[in-house]
Parts: sequence; C-alpha cells; structure tokens
Amino acid sequence: MTGSYVIDASNVTLALGSGAGRTEILRGVALQVASGESVALLGPSGSGKSSLMAVLSGLERATGGSIRIAGADFTALGEDDLARARQGRIGIVLQAFHLLPTMTALENVAVPLELAGREGPFDLARAELEAVGLGHRLTHYPAQLSGGEQQRVAIARATAPRPALLFADEPTGNLDAATGTAILDLLFERQRDTGATLLVITHDPALAARCGRVLEMQDGRIARDTANG
Amino acid sequence: MVEGFSGAEGPSTMLRMVPLPCKCSGGFLSLPLRLALRDLRGGLAGLRLLAICLFLGVLALAGVGSLASAITASLAERGQEILGGDVQLTVSQREAGPTELAALAREGRVSHITRMRAMAARLDGSESVLVELKGVDEAWPLYGTFRLRPGAPAERPRGGQVAVGPELAERLGVRVGERIRVGNAELQVVGLIAQEPDRVGQGFTLGSTALVDRAGLAATGLVQPGSLYTSAYRIQLRPGADAKAVAGRLGKSFGPSGFQVLDRTNGAPGTRRFIERLGQFLTLVGLTALIVAGIGVGNGVASYLDGKRASIATLKLLGATSRTLFLSFLFQVGLVAFAATIAGLAAGALVPAAVVALAGDSLPVPPRLALYWQPLLASAAYGLLIAAVFALVPIARARTVPAATLFRGDLEPSRWPGKAAVLIVLAAAAAIAGLAVGTAREPAFAAGFIGSALGLVLLLTLLGGLIRWTASRLPRPANPVFRIALANLHRPGAQTGRLVVALGLGLTLFTTLAVIESNLSGQMRTTIPAKAPSFFMLDIPVEEIGRFRTLASSAAPQGELVTIPSLRGSVVAVKGRRVADMGEIPPEAWFLRGDRGLTYSAALPEGSRIVAGRWWPSDYSGPPLVSLDVEAARAVGLGVGDPIAVSILGREIEARIASLREIDWDSMGFNFVIVFAPGTLESAPHSFMATISMPEAQERPFARAVSSAFPSVSAIRVKEVVETVSAMLSQLAVAVRAAASVAILAGIAVLVGALAASRRARTYDSVILKMLGATRGRILAAQAAEFAALALVVSLVALGLGSAAGWWVVVKIFELDWAPDWGTVGATLALGAVVTLVLGLAGALPALAARPARALRTL
Repeated sequence: MTGSYVIDASNVTLALGSGAGRTEILRGVALQVASGESVALLGPSGSGKSSLMAVLSGLERATGGSIRIAGADFTALGEDDLARARQGRIGIVLQAFHLLPTMTALENVAVPLELAGREGPFDLARAELEAVGLGHRLTHYPAQLSGGEQQRVAIARATAPRPALLFADEPTGNLDAATGTAILDLLFERQRDTGATLLVITHDPALAARCGRVLEMQDGRIARDTANG
Repeated sequence: MVEGFSGAEGPSTMLRMVPLPCKCSGGFLSLPLRLALRDLRGGLAGLRLLAICLFLGVLALAGVGSLASAITASLAERGQEILGGDVQLTVSQREAGPTELAALAREGRVSHITRMRAMAARLDGSESVLVELKGVDEAWPLYGTFRLRPGAPAERPRGGQVAVGPELAERLGVRVGERIRVGNAELQVVGLIAQEPDRVGQGFTLGSTALVDRAGLAATGLVQPGSLYTSAYRIQLRPGADAKAVAGRLGKSFGPSGFQVLDRTNGAPGTRRFIERLGQFLTLVGLTALIVAGIGVGNGVASYLDGKRASIATLKLLGATSRTLFLSFLFQVGLVAFAATIAGLAAGALVPAAVVALAGDSLPVPPRLALYWQPLLASAAYGLLIAAVFALVPIARARTVPAATLFRGDLEPSRWPGKAAVLIVLAAAAAIAGLAVGTAREPAFAAGFIGSALGLVLLLTLLGGLIRWTASRLPRPANPVFRIALANLHRPGAQTGRLVVALGLGLTLFTTLAVIESNLSGQMRTTIPAKAPSFFMLDIPVEEIGRFRTLASSAAPQGELVTIPSLRGSVVAVKGRRVADMGEIPPEAWFLRGDRGLTYSAALPEGSRIVAGRWWPSDYSGPPLVSLDVEAARAVGLGVGDPIAVSILGREIEARIASLREIDWDSMGFNFVIVFAPGTLESAPHSFMATISMPEAQERPFARAVSSAFPSVSAIRVKEVVETVSAMLSQLAVAVRAAASVAILAGIAVLVGALAASRRARTYDSVILKMLGATRGRILAAQAAEFAALALVVSLVALGLGSAAGWWVVVKIFELDWAPDWGTVGATLALGAVVTLVLGLAGALPALAARPARALRTL
C-alpha cells in the first residue's frame, strides 16, 4: 500500500536552533499523498506549512521521522543526493518567483532540464513557455517581465521536467487578484496536463476549495485532513 | 481633521509641523550625527573592508616614511661620530703639509686617519683577503667609542697590533692573538671589532676593516708616493664654533689643493642620499599600495551602503533629506576611516623598531627610534585623501536612492553622484598627486611614477570593461552552471572591473619588481662574471710593473693582462668656474664630486669611441690635454676646447678638452671619465692598475703568488665583489618586496571584499540551482572556472604591463641588457594567480554552504 503514495511521511519532526533557542517547528507530522492528488495546506503563520514543504521537497533535512518521496528515502540522503533526487522529479513554485536574474526566461526554464540531463532542453523549455502563454517572452530577462509573467516562468520551470510532485508555496501571494486567478488556473491546468501531484500552501480558501484535499496545520502538526467534494 | 492642517492655513502652517534643524540642540549637524551613531549601533562589520584597506595602505606609507626618517635622523644626530669629527678634510695620495696642518690645528683638536685598500694574508700565504686598512692616530676617535668584541670600550691597537672585522678573521681563519701579514708588516690580531664609530661615514667598502695605529701603518710600507690612499683630517672644534661656517671657510682655502671638506651636519652624504632615494621610491610603491587599497575602500563603502538601501529609502519616506543622509553616512565612513588611519599610523610608527629587531645588523645605520611626525602626518593626509577619493562617490550616490526603492526591485541603475562630489574627488586626487610630487626629492620621477600608476589604473579600468563586454557577448556555455559563472563576470553589480584594477595593479607592481630584480641579479650572476676579468689589481708600483708582468705571465700563463697608470684627483674648476662655488651638484655631474680616478694614455682606451674632437697623436708632448666622457661633459655644458682644472696631489693642473668619448661602461674594463694626454702626469707619483682574466681554477694560486711577491698590491677578486653586491641587492629587494607586498595584501582585501559584496547574489544563485537539482560540486566547479578565468586574464595583463614597465626601467634607466629570469617572474605571477583563485573559492564557500530552505526565506 505504502508504495502507491508519492508522499509517505510519518512522525516527521523539525527543530531549528539549539539549547535555549531551540524551536520545535514540526512535531510529528504524518502524511500520505497519492499520485495525482491535489492537496492544499492551510494554517496560520508559523504553523509549519513552509517548513513541511521544505522537508518534503528535500530543501531541509528533517530532524526525525521518515520521509519517502516517490519511493526515495529522503531521511537517508545527504544534501547533494537530495539535489539529485529533486532533478526532474520535484518542481517547486515559490511566492517570490526566485528566477535567476542573469538568465532569460528560456534559460531559466531550461536549467532543471539541463541539470537532469534531458535531451533537447531548450526545445522542451520553449514548448513549456508557449504552454504558459509566454512564447513571445523567451529572450526576456526576469527584470523585464511583470510579476504575473515571472510567476508563469516559475511554473513553466517547475513543470517542464514533468515532475511527479509539484510544490507551490503561496504562488499568488505577490500578485493581484485577477493575475492570481489566472496563475492558479494555469497551475491546475499544468498539473492536470502533466499528471503531477500538487501540494500547495495557501491562506486563500478559494484556492483550497479547488484542491481535492485540504490539510490544516497548527503548531507544527496536521490538525485536520478533509477531502473536498 | 486636525485643526490647523486645513488647506486654508496654507503651507506655512504645515511647515511648522515638520521638525526643522534646530541650533539649540547641537546645530545642523546634530541630526545626521545622531542618525550616524544610531546606525553604527549595528556594528562596524559592514565597513571592515574600508578599515582593513586603509589600515594597510597607511601602514605601508607610515612605515616606510618613519624608517627613512629614523635612519636620516640617526645620521644627523650621530653626525660627529659618523664623520669622526665636527669637520673633516680628505685628500688623496698625499698628506697635509706643515702649513696646512698648522691651519687645521688653529680650528681645534685634529685627528689624522689614513685609509687605503690592502691585502691581509695569513702568514703561511695560503689565504689573502682584500681589507680596508685604516691607520689612526692617538686622537682617534674624536667622537664615539671604539669597541672590540664582546662589546666593552677598547684601546686602539698599537705598534705591531691590528684589530680586524670579525668576517676578516673568519675568512683568514685566524684567532685573536695570532698574526697576519699586511704589506711588509706582521701584525698581531688584538681583537675583533664590535663598533667602529666612524664606519658609516666611509661609505661602501669592499673589504672589512683592519685597524692599525700610525706606527703599524708605517710598518706595512704601503703608503708610498703614488699608492692609492686617502688622508682624512678630522677636527674637534672649540665649543660654540659653527661647524658649517668653519667647513665653508676651510673649503675655500683647502679646496684648490684637492681637499674635500665635510661637516657634521652631513657626515655621510652618500648614505643619506641613498636612504632618501630609497625612501622616496618605497613611498611611491606604498602610494601604489594605497591606491589599490583605495579601490577596496570604494568597494567597502559601496557594499556597506548597498546594504542600507532599504534603510535609506525608509528614512526618505519619513522625511530625511539627501543632505541629512549624505552627512550621516559621511560621519560613519569618516569615523571608520579616521580610526583605520590612526591604527595604520600607530603600526607604521612601530616599523623602525620592528626593522631594528629583525634586521638591525644589516642596516647602514641603526635607526633613531622616535616618533616622526612629518611622515606620519603625510601618511595620514594620503590615507584620508584616498578615502575621500574613493568613498565620496558611493556616499553621494547613496543619498540619491529614491524612497520608491521600497516598492520596486533593487536593480537601480547607478546614479550621477552630483557635481560637488565629483569636484571634491578631483580636488582630493589632485592634492594626492601634488603632495607626492611636491614632497619628492626628485619631483619629475615622482610625477612620472604617479602618471604611470594613473595610466595603469585607466588601462585596467578599460580592460575590466572589455572583459565584461566580452563575457556578455561570448556564446553561452551549454552547461547552465558555467553559464552562471560567465554571467557573474558581467551581471549588473558584478565586481569584475574593480577586481581587474585592484588585482591588476598589485600584480603588475609585483611583476615589474620581479622583472627588474631578476634582471639585476641575473646580470650579477651571469653577465658580469662572463664579461669581467678575474681580478682588478691596485697599487702596483711604477718601478715594479715590469716584474709584475713577468709574474703574471708565469703564474697565469693563459691570463689576459691589461695594465694602466692610475692616480686620484678631483676636478676643481670647469670653464673657469670653481666647483666649490657651485653649491648643490646635480646627480648627472657626479664626476665633480670628490676624488676620481685619472689616467694617461697615448692610445684611445678600449671600449671608448670619439664623438667630438680628435684623439691626440701617440707621441704628443704639448700643453696638457684631456679626453672627457661625453655624458659628463654634457652634464656641465663642457665642449671641445674648454678648460678643466684638476687637482692632483695638491697641485692644480689646467688642461684643455681635446675630445669627448662615448664609454661602454658594460665593457667591465678600465673606464676613466678623464684621460690625460701623455706628457703631463708621468712625473707625478703614481701607480699602475691591472686587470687579468684567467680560468677560475688558477685564481687562488695566482692571488697567493701576487700576495707573497707584491705585498703592497691589492687584488680584488671580481667574484667576491659580485657576491657582496648581490647580497646588498637582495637586502634591498627584501625592503622593496615588503612594500610591494602591501599592494598585494590590499589587492587580496579588495578581492575578499568584492566577494563579500557579491555574496548575496552568489548565495541566491547557489540556492536556486540547488533547488533545481544542482550539486555543490557542480556549483563550486563553475565558481572555480569564473575565478580561474579572471585570475588568468589579470595575470596575463600583469605579465604584459609589468614586463613592459620592467623593460623600461632595466633598458632605459639602468641601461642594462634585457635578460629577466622568466622562471622567477612566472612563479611570482603564478603565486598571485593561485592566491586569487584560492581566496576566491574560499570566499565563495559560505554562499555554497547556505541551506536552501532557510536562504529562500530571507533572500
């Protein structure tokens, strides 16, 4: 049964700092997410949403517990192995876009494909940018793009390698309502088209309502796990 | 609505609500100062680079200046001791006559010293060494204390005794109590000299001292008519007498008889000139280091203020004016610059003491340890002016950061800092150049050096721009991490330009010095010994010259012997103008200063070429004629037919210039500035000099044979001279390298600072690349490629520019052959490049170690 989950985490803990300054951020999180699911992660600030996403995506190493992502044991991997494990398997979209400022839109999207050693990375990147409606912005640098366009590049960058797992951390947090809606439409469309599993952190109930499942976090634990519709 | 805030009240009411500058709370500076002090609560870490660079630059200048001042002060303070009296008169190849002695005795107590080169030999003849033989009378030393090892004040040697320098005893392998031969005398070594008070005043000598009294000197039989010796008469003036005035008076009356007169205020003019010149050169090297440091200052301030953009924008949002912000940052930067300058001055002031502790014995004079305000003030002025030149522009730019930055990205274009700031910067730069040139002993040289340094800065700036331009147009590498490495060279805010200037300047300076030094030492090691004869032989009596030739042909059958008559004399007048009345003699007219070697010859000497006039017929027997070196003649405006008066053994001879010669000084033979025609000097007491070349294996037996057959003849072995001069050059090289190292250190500080300034961008790239799946190894490889490319380009440029500068110094100034040791030069550069690479990578490691999840929250 365990093998069918893209995310299979149990008793995950994360503590930062040491001694008197030690803070328990995740306090025994258990989570299983099946392939193709879309999951919204809700919760107040400081509840541990972003930290959970960080340990699940391998950006942070959990202090304890077990994490298996697409079959790989993330708790047993070092920093570089985690980087390799992300290649082509995990896509991440962040609130602040985090594009590489010295690269064009096309190059930004091609980077994960190149790192994963894919054939024809620029052709794939071009197709992906066209799919997100930025076929006319291929040679633009991030500073020459609007916030919405930058986030579309970030989505294209995350989805271009066809990852099994797509993380998004408040992807519309830096955008106006209309652009945010368009970006969400795009995100869900790309998720559907690629068949990826989506885990999205949000404060927005409307976004949560579009996901198949909603997790609510509180004090470093998943306090509620509900299925939509 | 708040009462009084309505539109009806107008702007005057609104203005009342704004806190205006208030004189009662400390004047218009109080707000910027308060802001500055609050800002500094966050610590000075951001201005660390400014502090380090300024400290290094000021340290170099203050150190060099303090050391030079400490040595010249010691020369001045110990003037009497160094000179051996209040006034000294020296004359070659003769002693003062009774009337002259009586005139000297009227001025005060007189001490008579005789100095000459001689050979000291073991009694068994197995070893002989060139010495500086010094015969002293009972009055010696008039000032200072003579000490023998281990250091207690000692009596001067008497009769058949000799005190010798420790290295002489070691070379001869004799101990105290044993006997050595000098000339015809067998002398007992009474002790090893620990302190010879008047040693420095004698200047550079090839041999170490052998000190005897007048009886001992007479016993050697070396003082003969024609032999090359110098008589010095030191006078201890009566209390209250003005040494300078007495020297001036004696100069006038004794000058025409060939006496050179010095007084205690300038007891060792050659040493003083040398120290002042070296100090000047090292100051300019230090100034170059300070310019490199200035780039670090600029970088440090710029990156510090860059980190303050949000604060600046916020303060503006709250109503702070550009002026308030400018003054606030000026306070902060000024405070740190001032503190760094003071620290640099304090460390620089300790340099003389450190040098004494490390290299006391190899210094010409022990520095007089004290605080020297003049070089310290000059260094402080240089430091603060450099800080102004490099820090004002970033400060002026920072005040223009708009409040809207808070709402936009921080990719703001560089703004025009304002006319006032640019004018102040130009004025400060002009003040630096003015100070350097105005205080220089040789202003033209200083101006040339400063001009070259500025030209180099300009050239490197252009090169930096070219590298950025090229990097932005090169085909993008297929590998994304290498694409980032390439982008790092030209991205907005890239430090490439500054790094190229800072590292390029430091490495170019280092390469230039390496080229010059390796060229000089190469000449000393290979060229000179290859060209030069094995021995220079001095003081061969005229009547013995035939016997000497015979001995030379039997003891060194393959030897090539050249003999030439030799006398000493001084030029006392040119074109009817007395040399004594000329005041300061320019360096090019060095042949007017002191005694010069003279000779006479029927044939044109080898290595000379007539460029004006005609060489005399070999059987010439008319009025006195001379042939003069063309460069010496040009220096004082002499031409063919002009009169020149030379004093030889107290007799003044006026001759006409028959010809001017171009001398090949590299020929390593006998090169005399003044050559007399036959018929004038033959009857004067004189001796012969000789050069002889032979295979090295024959040198020692030949020296032994000459020493036992001709005890009065001094044999100077060229190899030993080369070794002595090489050792001196290498000591100089250490001093020059120490000053130049500061430039490299400052360059490294700039590099580290540049990395710190770009750390945020590097961390960002590194984190995003990791998020996208790049390993640390790949990211590190890309950064290594970036730094290697930069180090390679800068090193190649430094090699080109440094070699060109070195070639100019070696070929154009020293007029030597161009033969640098490329191995040494390459090693110097490779070291520089590797240091750049390693430090660059070390500086990049923190960015590499950033944990993605945490960094993404803060970036």
